[in-house]
Amino acid sequence: MIPGWLWILAYTLIGLGVLLGLLRAFLGPKTPDRLVAVDALVTITMGLMVLLGLWYRRGIYLDIALIYGALGFIATLAIARYLEGGL
Amino acid sequence: MTLLNLLETLLVIGMLGAALFVVRTRDLLAAVVVTAIISLVAAILFYVLQAPDVAITEAAIDAGLTTAIFLVALRKTERYEK
Repeated sequence: MIPGWLWILAYTLIGLGVLLGLLRAFLGPKTPDRLVAVDALVTITMGLMVLLGLWYRRGIYLDIALIYGALGFIATLAIARYLEGGL
Repeated sequence: MTLLNLLETLLVIGMLGAALFVVRTRDLLAAVVVTAIISLVAAILFYVLQAPDVAITEAAIDAGLTTAIFLVALRKTERYEK
């Protein structure tokens, strides 16, 4: 079993990561800063979804993290392509 | 109030801040980027409210498709709002 303090540590770290990512996404002076912040937020969210799937003990919840990880990449790719001048 | 409720509160406040930012900013590309945060928090909320199928649809449509369509539309117009 996972001890209680480990849950508290994990949730606290994820909360701190979300806070810092949101701060950079709002304050970032240029668009690439915001883009990297949103990409980091997608990764942190994936971790949160896997953690909550373990918390609720349901296997289907891992599929959402899988799909989000596979498709959250497309948005980053499209915006990077736009900044480069393609698309 | 558990720690998970606290985390959800932080996420919803971030969602509200992202919506206000999207409405107020002049840079439309930054608005498209920050819109991803709104869909992200919506997916987490559907997830926590025990609706995994809705969360999967939200992730599939909003993370991939909406941003691409907004960018194709933005390419036809100007980046900065007058």
